[in-house]
Amino acid sequence: MSNQRQASSASQVPHLSPAELSYLYTSLSLPKTPIRPDGRSPTQFRPLTAETNILPGTNGSARIGFADGTQAIVGVKAEVEKTVLSNETLARNDGGAGHEHGDQEGSAAVGGHGSWVQMSIEIPGFRDDDALPVFLSEMMRESLVGAVGTDETSDMTGGLKGRLVINKRWHWRLYIDVLLLSQPLAYPLPLLSLTTHLALLSTKLPKLKSQGEEDPFFDDDWAVAEYLYPRPSLSSGGKKSARSSFVRPPVTLLVISVGDNIIFDPNREEIAVADAVLAISITRDSEAGNLKLLSIRTVDPPSRLTPPGVPNSENVSMLGAVAPTEDVAVLNPATGEEEVPGVWRPRRGGVKRSVIAEMVKTALKKGGVGEEVLEGLEGVEVS
Amino acid sequence: MKSLRRDTSSNPQAANVTSKVFVRSTKSGKVQKIVRELYLRQDIPCSSKLCALCPSVAPADANGNIAPFVLSDRPAGTKAFPRGHYLVPDTNALLNGMDLFEHTGAFYDVIILQTVLEELRNQSLPLYNRLLSLIKTDEKRFYLFFNEFRLETHVRRGPEESINDRNDRAVRSVASWYEDHLRVSVKMSKKEKSLPAMVVITDDKDSIRKAKAENVTALSLADYVAGLEDSEKLLDMMSEAREARDTKGAAQGELFYPEYYSMSKLMTGLRAGNLHQGVFNVSPYNYLEGSIKVPAFDKALLILGRDNSNRAIAGDVVVIELLPKDQWKSPSTKIVEEEAVTKNDNPDTDETEAVVTDRERKALQEEVKQAHGKNSEGKPQPTAKVVGVIKRNWRQYVGHVDSNSTASLSGRRQQTVFVLPMEKRVPKIRVRTRQASDLIGQRILVTIDSWDRDSRYPTGHYVRSLGELETKGAETEALLLEYDVQYKPFPKSVLDCLPAEGHDWKVPVSKEDKGWIGRRDLRDLLICSIDPPGCQDIDDALHARPLPNGNFEVGVHIADVSHFVKPNNAMDLEASVRGTTVYLVDKRIDMLPHLLGTDLCSLKPYVERYAFSVLWEVTPNAEIVSSNFTKSVIRSREAFSYEQAQLRIDDPSQTDELTESMRNLLRFSKILRQKRYDAGALNLASPEVRIEAGDEAGDPLTDVKTKAMLETNSLVEEFMLLANITVATKVYDSFSQTALLRRHATPPPQNFEDLINQLSKKRGMELDVSSSGALANSLDRCVDPENPFFNTLVRILATRCMTSAEYFCAGAHAESEFRHYGLASPIYTHFTSPIRRYADLLVHRQLASAIGYEGEDGHAVIEGVSTRGKLEDICRNINFRHRNAQFAGRASIEYYVGQALKARGEKMAAGGTDTGIDEEGYVMRVFENGVVVFVPRFGIEGVVRLEDFVLPGESGVYSVTERRELAVHRTTDFDSEEYTLRVSEKNHAEKDRSVQVELFQRVKVNVSSVKEEGRGAGKRRVRVLITG
Repeated sequence: MSNQRQASSASQVPHLSPAELSYLYTSLSLPKTPIRPDGRSPTQFRPLTAETNILPGTNGSARIGFADGTQAIVGVKAEVEKTVLSNETLARNDGGAGHEHGDQEGSAAVGGHGSWVQMSIEIPGFRDDDALPVFLSEMMRESLVGAVGTDETSDMTGGLKGRLVINKRWHWRLYIDVLLLSQPLAYPLPLLSLTTHLALLSTKLPKLKSQGEEDPFFDDDWAVAEYLYPRPSLSSGGKKSARSSFVRPPVTLLVISVGDNIIFDPNREEIAVADAVLAISITRDSEAGNLKLLSIRTVDPPSRLTPPGVPNSENVSMLGAVAPTEDVAVLNPATGEEEVPGVWRPRRGGVKRSVIAEMVKTALKKGGVGEEVLEGLEGVEVS
Repeated sequence: MKSLRRDTSSNPQAANVTSKVFVRSTKSGKVQKIVRELYLRQDIPCSSKLCALCPSVAPADANGNIAPFVLSDRPAGTKAFPRGHYLVPDTNALLNGMDLFEHTGAFYDVIILQTVLEELRNQSLPLYNRLLSLIKTDEKRFYLFFNEFRLETHVRRGPEESINDRNDRAVRSVASWYEDHLRVSVKMSKKEKSLPAMVVITDDKDSIRKAKAENVTALSLADYVAGLEDSEKLLDMMSEAREARDTKGAAQGELFYPEYYSMSKLMTGLRAGNLHQGVFNVSPYNYLEGSIKVPAFDKALLILGRDNSNRAIAGDVVVIELLPKDQWKSPSTKIVEEEAVTKNDNPDTDETEAVVTDRERKALQEEVKQAHGKNSEGKPQPTAKVVGVIKRNWRQYVGHVDSNSTASLSGRRQQTVFVLPMEKRVPKIRVRTRQASDLIGQRILVTIDSWDRDSRYPTGHYVRSLGELETKGAETEALLLEYDVQYKPFPKSVLDCLPAEGHDWKVPVSKEDKGWIGRRDLRDLLICSIDPPGCQDIDDALHARPLPNGNFEVGVHIADVSHFVKPNNAMDLEASVRGTTVYLVDKRIDMLPHLLGTDLCSLKPYVERYAFSVLWEVTPNAEIVSSNFTKSVIRSREAFSYEQAQLRIDDPSQTDELTESMRNLLRFSKILRQKRYDAGALNLASPEVRIEAGDEAGDPLTDVKTKAMLETNSLVEEFMLLANITVATKVYDSFSQTALLRRHATPPPQNFEDLINQLSKKRGMELDVSSSGALANSLDRCVDPENPFFNTLVRILATRCMTSAEYFCAGAHAESEFRHYGLASPIYTHFTSPIRRYADLLVHRQLASAIGYEGEDGHAVIEGVSTRGKLEDICRNINFRHRNAQFAGRASIEYYVGQALKARGEKMAAGGTDTGIDEEGYVMRVFENGVVVFVPRFGIEGVVRLEDFVLPGESGVYSVTERRELAVHRTTDFDSEEYTLRVSEKNHAEKDRSVQVELFQRVKVNVSSVKEEGRGAGKRRVRVLITG
């Protein structure tokens, strides 16, 4: 069991024969026109249903279900907490090692601190200290707290942690609880990330009534609570009313490369043959509306662990005819490895720079996949 | 990418479920989103007796009964609504006109919405409680309609709709629902009844406009009241707060007071310890000087002047900030009275007034000079200013209209007048009235509505008139109101709890009767009671008899009130609210109904009564061998007054057993008393004045008697103390957490600082306050052979330095804190007067439970006093009631003395001039411009102002006004170190033309009752002239 869990770092590998894997790979790696098993275009997402505020007791919540039956619920709860102030000046005077530390702590009071966001992921069949949930939550949290606005003058920085600052002595602590309701059929990252994004969009914090450095004091009317990520107000009509209303929480997309092709939102079978699996976190944090790349993480491709096919040259029954590794081998343009066409070989990972560049470009460009995803999520009524 | 949203509109159940969402900030600083689900129903009745529908659907209780319907089927009509009407007030209407809604002349058949009630609770807790009690009474026909839970009247908040707008909409929707509902149901009943109009009362102009559009009748409170009879009086009863805001909101006048800090700033400061919270107190001698005791400091902080007290009124819970050290001052050594300083203020003109008038500033300046002058004991003390108010403790105040402030307008134009509250520590209240000319010379009840930054004085409104000044009825009621004594007759629900037999109730003859279960038959004991003359509510009786072994059995028998007052019934609740019986000179306000207090419980002689007995076996030397508690039946042989008992004991010819028993008791009591003093108990008996209503013809002053202390007084007292202590020990043994006890905290030594200083300066005497025993001894040494009263005077002053005793429940303090300082007893409680004190009744129940008494029905009932929280509430209340009862009693005596002096004065005046009565007085306090004199003969304290010093060479008899003229010609030489004051005329500083008084000095005073203007009016201010 534990072996299997370790193995399923990306997903539970479907039981496909080497021949099937090879067929899939070939279809997906057709130059320019990959054929996906479910007929989607390379950038097309699976259809999904989404709703927000399904958990009334939380500050914000969302549910997203993919058509394949996987669905996730995310609840966001916020709590007021006192900021632990280190003796900033003291540390500064110490100089040396203490200097760096004090500086960091001091700035936390203004810019927020990563530990203020806590994320827990619950996946059926996994313990909370298993590799998959821990890895997933850290991957998503990293992009959440890492996103910092480029606009230094804006008081509402793009990053989540900056938004949690109430004043120098107080901040909000955010608990993001992610619950995958179904078995992790595909690698659940995109589903969880989208749901988290949506839940954060719908998250509201009580309206602050006190000012400045006073102990926080809040309006008891929930209806006037303010969105953590302000939305363009409907009444004023103009979408460009508040520039900070463009800032959106990050979303992490899963992209695979198969040959030269780039495929978004892969399903389980597609991941099983991917040359490389990447998690790309993007966000929109400025008024221009340009997307920004937050992080790229490679995910251990499960294709590594698939059973290899055996080329004729190595087949025992064909033994003696030709030299093993020569002649039939062809150079795979994507991986630079030599392969025998039609014979499945487990991928060894590795991806070309140009492919990654292409992935990023597709995700970030105007009208690209990233924008489409964000707009789609934006379209979900948050109430 | 497509997204779908789940659609709930197709679910038919969805409409029945909704939720209420709000943010709750907890004390610990947590901020929570709270979601309450609401399941809407359709069976909440409209409660109108007109309705034919609701009785069939209204929810029934376990017995199948539905709550009786409240709203009349023939509601009263007015000119505008001749067919009758139901009122639906919104929150503002109740905030502004609670006094109107309580008025018995109008405002019947009122529908109070749940929405409104909750909103009111958030805005004003006292008003909320008043509204609740209104809803509870049947007479006014107020119906609490749970509109939020009824499907038809539940209103969902729209997007962008404020809570206020939503609540207003809820009020209107209820009104229109009622109208439709009644129309349908009356039609169904096929009876010809006219439909009452539904009238929404709201002060929100916007809501009135919207109501018009929605076809709902809505009126402002003022408009509605204007259509009623007696509208002028009623209009006066509306709160001024809102109006003041409305008119001033537009053109903000000059702001006299600094703004309060925001709530969050206050909380931040309190938590950080920069700000402090406490109850604002005002000095009775100087209205400009307040003090606040905060936990952070040992001594109270001073608040000087109006701008520092910043609209706080005595009793408010306020937040203060310390002032920098250069603004620290010493407490005032001057008597400053409000009416003297601000007599010429005009209630109408706001523009010219400043917070601190020049006169006030001058008064303060002189104080500061004083503080900086000598190196007196008056070292500058920390001062503070009020920066916020946590809780207003405004109540209704009794006062009268300052006739100087009324314009001599004829007709009924509305004008602003000042009302001077009887309570000196409350500033005058600005009241707008249309009946000013009627109110002059009346005792009236007013309430404070607001105190805005742009007004020097608080704004209030008229509630009702108590009657003419100085009439007995009005003054007694004023007194009861001022001390918050519940004086209304007992309601029917309480009287229903009395035994059905009434005065014919008797102890059951047959011992098989359940009333005898667990009771000892003590009818053959020779028991008697000793009380003040004319006492009807006899709580206690005693006996002593020799035992065969040479020891004695001593018994204290207390009326068994807990037999008649069962826990948690209406009578018990009423008694717990009243807390104590209040004794006024000519009136007694009972805690329990008359039937119990003076008959069934009272241990009257010659009849059998239930009692709770404490029996001791004592050696002839009054050593206690054992003690025993039992419920019993006794028959008192005689009810003595103190004098009668004393005479009988002293009469050697009386040798019957009863007298012997009393002699034994007396002997024991003397030993007990000595033991108590040896243990360090204090003797603080101050001369109390007792009024005996005598014949009309004689000198009224002969009724005023100082209480004589007879040996029999202390006989009873001693055994009551012993019983209380014995019971306290027993109860605490059984209920270590919930025993109801009484403690007298050891006063902190700094309380005595002033007195110690004064004694050593003036008399070279020392006061050792290290323990109660040491204090008792040093008090005994404070004797002035030439001045026999001096010792008593010191005792009075020492008593004032102490804390007051209080009830508490055992779990609230550590055992070492149980000590009763004055009695020098490690534990104490009250057990011996259950007829007149609720605490004793509770202790009875606890003791009954402790000795395993099971009661008539076989199960001892002690619930209700078994939880600490509830007990602590009760303690708080009875402590408060107890204190107020004492104040009320004293005030009543003071009033009576004044009246007696007045009557005497009138009699004398008939035959000549009012010369007052010459008495001896003692100087208790010395101020820079006057002294306070205690007159033991009448038990009163009088302030002697400059003009009231009779200088050598002038005749003492001047009228008040003539004397007032004198004040400006006088000058004083005040030595705060030596506590002396020399009064002389300006330019005539010669010794022989001046008077010098000093602390503790015996002075000759002339006491008379004068018609005082200003605040004292009606309250029979007693004028004291120092004649030498």
